[in-house]
Amino acid sequence: MNLSELKTPAELEDLYHPVMAEIKEVKRLSAMETYYRVELPGGEDLGHMPGQFVELSIFGVGEAPFSISSSPTLKGSFELGVRRAGMLTDVLLRQQPGTKIGIRGPFGNGIDVEKFKGKDVLIIAGGIGLVPMRSMINYVIDNRDQFGKLIICYGSKSDQDLLFTDELAQWEKDPAIDYHVTVDQGSDSWQGNTGVITTLIPGLDLDLANTVCCICGPPVMYRFALLSLKSKGFADENIYMSLERRMKCGVGKCGHCQINHSYVCQDGPVYHYPDIKSMQEAL
Amino acid sequence: MVQFYLEGDRISEFVAHLMKQKPVYAPHRKGQKSFSFEKTENAEDVVLDYVRTMHSIKKYFLPPREELLHFDLTKNESDPVEIPMSEAVFLGVHSYDLAAVGRLDYNFTVGSPEKNYLTRRQNAIFIGVSFEPDKFHFSGSVGIRPEDSTGCDIFLTKLFDGYVLEILTDKGQELMEGLNLPAHDAGKPATGHFHQHIFVPQAKLSEVMEHSYDNPVWEETAGKCVGCGTCNLVCPTCYCFNVEENVDITATKGSRERHWDGCMLREFSEVAGGEVFRETLAARQRHRIFRKFKYISDQTGQPWCVGCGRCTTYCTAGISIVSIVNRLIGDYERAAVAPV
Repeated sequence: MNLSELKTPAELEDLYHPVMAEIKEVKRLSAMETYYRVELPGGEDLGHMPGQFVELSIFGVGEAPFSISSSPTLKGSFELGVRRAGMLTDVLLRQQPGTKIGIRGPFGNGIDVEKFKGKDVLIIAGGIGLVPMRSMINYVIDNRDQFGKLIICYGSKSDQDLLFTDELAQWEKDPAIDYHVTVDQGSDSWQGNTGVITTLIPGLDLDLANTVCCICGPPVMYRFALLSLKSKGFADENIYMSLERRMKCGVGKCGHCQINHSYVCQDGPVYHYPDIKSMQEAL
Repeated sequence: MVQFYLEGDRISEFVAHLMKQKPVYAPHRKGQKSFSFEKTENAEDVVLDYVRTMHSIKKYFLPPREELLHFDLTKNESDPVEIPMSEAVFLGVHSYDLAAVGRLDYNFTVGSPEKNYLTRRQNAIFIGVSFEPDKFHFSGSVGIRPEDSTGCDIFLTKLFDGYVLEILTDKGQELMEGLNLPAHDAGKPATGHFHQHIFVPQAKLSEVMEHSYDNPVWEETAGKCVGCGTCNLVCPTCYCFNVEENVDITATKGSRERHWDGCMLREFSEVAGGEVFRETLAARQRHRIFRKFKYISDQTGQPWCVGCGRCTTYCTAGISIVSIVNRLIGDYERAAVAPV
């Protein structure tokens, strides 16, 4: 590596300095999850693709990666769905509209939507895996003519934990969407499916040659979702998955998110399944 | 190439000559057996004939703790931190440590070049010195000889009680102006032999590692390892870091800081909710070794281990990186010749 070929360091961008963005809207999604709509200075677009993430920080508390939940078709602001899981998210929970937070990004590769165009799109989302998948779902809905059928499988711990329930109701009503939902354990009033998310897959009506799938959920879900898809006859090359790791810096430097040789913040978080099949730490 | 002879009793004069021009960082004695790179205050304190320092010169380009930004909690605002440019001479650097700087240069320029590292790094001047391998050095096995002057502006090769001094760059020439040393026309002396060796070159190691994912050595090593992360901390090519907030006692101001982190520590791969993606010490040992000999190496063709022997020297449990790698090679070659 010849350092003299580089720009002089003074001209380089400060990779770690966030821009201050404003929380415009806060909504409780469930007992553990909260929705935030965030606006960059001047209402500038984040310029992301579905599947990408931002590094969100609060001074004096910390910084962590969060999936972007809104579709790029939403202009002027972007949305997050945050589960309460530690100090940063606890403090975030106390913030009101008008508060400014630090944002870096968008980071990661995102979903290569070109690979889904002209095809039926199958989304498998478990728990807060719905947060990033919602970006893709709304991207497909807003670009209806570019995609085939939209099939959504969503699994949650209980009906109390279902996220974005207003939108779920719309997806269920939409004749152009084949929407399926299940909960591990339903309350007394729950009328829908009960069981883990993989129980939804055998009953799906899929055009196998023309369907591309994207999976996002808790670590334990991937293996079982893959097994179900395979027994359905789904080809590996039609499967994409978004993986969670500790993307601390977001710019391929800090080392925390590595899966074998791959930096999730650079090559992921969305991987084409054939590329990670042989990476033993991936799934 | 111009060669001079620096007599033993003129070393301090040479160091003082450098100190007049720029700050000089060089090995100093620390206790009876240890050495450490320190900013030179007295020319006489510099020790050129040393075994190895506990930390490499990495600490000057990627400091153990570094402020990334300052914030004011009363205003919810932040300011970037001024990064000091290091116009400094690094004197008495062994070839493996300079090779390690080259590896870090790659890590901090690939993808998104990092201002922090590169600002510190850009004006460094290096004066290398040959070394006598001890029982833990094995840099020869990764292509780094004691007399390698790659990346140096000036290089010193031990001869009797003094050094053959070679000027290798214009920067080196500038530094030497005003110091008259006798020319040295004879050749350079041979340097010593290594006592430890990895049995195959990097090209083959990648293949060995490919077949070593499930080798029992990971479990066996994990049986001894206490997961303290010392190997990561002393490694001159380990560059992983964590970022934390540091609020001052008034609770109104503070800084976002990064500090060295290590993949041998359990929390390293932990995510929100408590999932740890390399839960076992065996998985972490494998990750450490693969990061030195496989992952980046497959992309660059170079081992990311420079053979300094620090991880082995300072391991609290007596784990040897050379033993692990040679065990993998042995097992791989036995499997290759075994009848099916």
